[in-house]
Amino acid sequence: MRSIRIGLLLGLRQIQRANHWTTMLIIFVMMFTFLNLIAVSGVLVGLIEGAERAVRINALGDIIISPLNDEDRVLETETFVRELESYPEIAASSVRYTGSAVLEANYKERRDLSGERDTAPVIVTGVDPELEDSMTYLSDYVVKGEYLSTNEEGYILIGAYYLKEYAELFGDIFDTVDAQPGDTVRMTVGNVSKEFIVKGIIQSKVDQVNLAAYIPEREFRRVFGRLDRNADQIVVRLNDPRENVNVKSAMLAGGLGEFAKIMTFEENLPKFLIDIKKTFNLLGTFIGSIGIVVASITIFIIIFINALSRRRHIVILKAIGIERNAIEIAYVIQAAFYALAGSLFGALFTYGFLIPYFEKNPIQFPFSDGILVADPETTFYKFLVLFVITLIAGFLPAWLIARQNTLNSILGRT
Amino acid sequence: MKIIEAKNVHRKFGKGDLEVHVLRGINFSAEQGDFVAIMGKSGAGKSTLMYQLSALDDPTEGSIAIDGVDIIDMSERERTEFRLGTLGYVFQDYALVPDLSARENIMMPMLMRGMNWAEAEKQADTSLDDVGMHGKYNNLPAQLSGGEQQRVAVARAIAGRPKILFADEPTANLDTVSGNQVIDLLGELNKEGQTIVMVTHEDEYTKYCNRIVQIEDGLIVAERKK
Repeated sequence: MRSIRIGLLLGLRQIQRANHWTTMLIIFVMMFTFLNLIAVSGVLVGLIEGAERAVRINALGDIIISPLNDEDRVLETETFVRELESYPEIAASSVRYTGSAVLEANYKERRDLSGERDTAPVIVTGVDPELEDSMTYLSDYVVKGEYLSTNEEGYILIGAYYLKEYAELFGDIFDTVDAQPGDTVRMTVGNVSKEFIVKGIIQSKVDQVNLAAYIPEREFRRVFGRLDRNADQIVVRLNDPRENVNVKSAMLAGGLGEFAKIMTFEENLPKFLIDIKKTFNLLGTFIGSIGIVVASITIFIIIFINALSRRRHIVILKAIGIERNAIEIAYVIQAAFYALAGSLFGALFTYGFLIPYFEKNPIQFPFSDGILVADPETTFYKFLVLFVITLIAGFLPAWLIARQNTLNSILGRT
Repeated sequence: MKIIEAKNVHRKFGKGDLEVHVLRGINFSAEQGDFVAIMGKSGAGKSTLMYQLSALDDPTEGSIAIDGVDIIDMSERERTEFRLGTLGYVFQDYALVPDLSARENIMMPMLMRGMNWAEAEKQADTSLDDVGMHGKYNNLPAQLSGGEQQRVAVARAIAGRPKILFADEPTANLDTVSGNQVIDLLGELNKEGQTIVMVTHEDEYTKYCNRIVQIEDGLIVAERKK
């Protein structure tokens, strides 16, 4: 206890009386070490989290309702939808019908009947345009032309991946058609064909949106011969996404589980995405740990030079009866101060500026709007690692110097 | 009563051809209340003797007892405790901690002894007053003259009421006026009963000493009593 008290006094006074520029520089180094530790993995994880978030907002919502394992459709869809209306937690929902079709463009201009036709197999999604827009903000992603109107028929929205114009952007791996808003395309499902006018082109960072052709649900049912109203998917957005587990439980308790499979967004995530997230986190931690090694070496050198330049004072303290561990504690306190101050400024910068900044200005990755993810719990653990390593880096040089023979040090003998 | 008793003290440095035999069998003792000056030319071994007597170094051979306690076989920790409780030091270059104020420099060993902060502060101020440093409690060593720093060092050494005060050329870095002030201070302390062992090579500073020990080539060659 006495040693701690003395160590505390010596350490605090050394910090107080140190050159302020040097102190600022050390804190600056520690701050960047902290940022390196938090931000590198934060951006890597944020890249996936940004993609996840986009899928959640623009495609799947907070709760996904799909057919039971031995069924093709969501049973009693109309009853199901009516039930959903009774949940105050639900902000929006959309009922989707999906089916495969072949889309053909430029068939009217085609002169050579033996030539290759301009066709592409597409996944067609039938929606209520208004409900879908309130659910996934689909109209915001119309890059050419216009969004569908609720009461008009004969129009189609085509995802960018199905168009020749955008083929280069994704490596031209799908069959595409050459169409623009205003062009007429023909959709064929089995023996049934219907012409649509391309109303708009949609492009998003969510593949599910780029790989869809949207038509109004009434026309979908007509073209696909779906006389019942049982849907392929119902997606739900909640006022508070964190409530999705509770709302799912309430739905199951209300008996809705008999008609469809009810999953939260997280449950619906493919395992590979979770694995990528973990991998990126590990990768970020690995890169960050290099930063920790650099910082610990920096702290070691700083404390070593500091202790070496005060070697005589250290041994004088020993000579007048101050215990060695009190002297070591003084240097550990200095290292702790640098780690704490650097981490504090780093945390303030991360949570006060970087995270809000990247929320407003996401990093534009090809498949994701990258954000910075730094959940406080992980940040705290990383800080603890940084803190402990810094303490060790501060203790070692003080220990090396304080253990030297008192007289040798007084006399300047090595 | 003998407060220091050293018998046949040898101290060698280095090994083989490079071995230097600095102390060659010294017998030394001091009584309670003595003010002993150890004198000699540079390299005679006077400081080395003082370091052996003050538990800062281990003799190669011989025995040393301070206040009846054999200090030779003590562990580093025991020595530190012993120095803290029994001995006081004044070094040639003051040896104050530059980051601590005059008051805090003096408080340091007292806090180490377990004294509470307020009590240590009070006692440190009293010690500073005693050495004529009233009002300079919060000055850093860099803000004090050499003489003042040495007085703070003396105040630190005596604040714990040590049984023996060791002073290694306490006037070496001071001008004549400051040097005399420090010697006068040590003289006053001795008058109050403080045992002092001082290394010096200037005769004029031995005016308060009751014994002067002359060292030459690692041996006591003469001893004068006043």
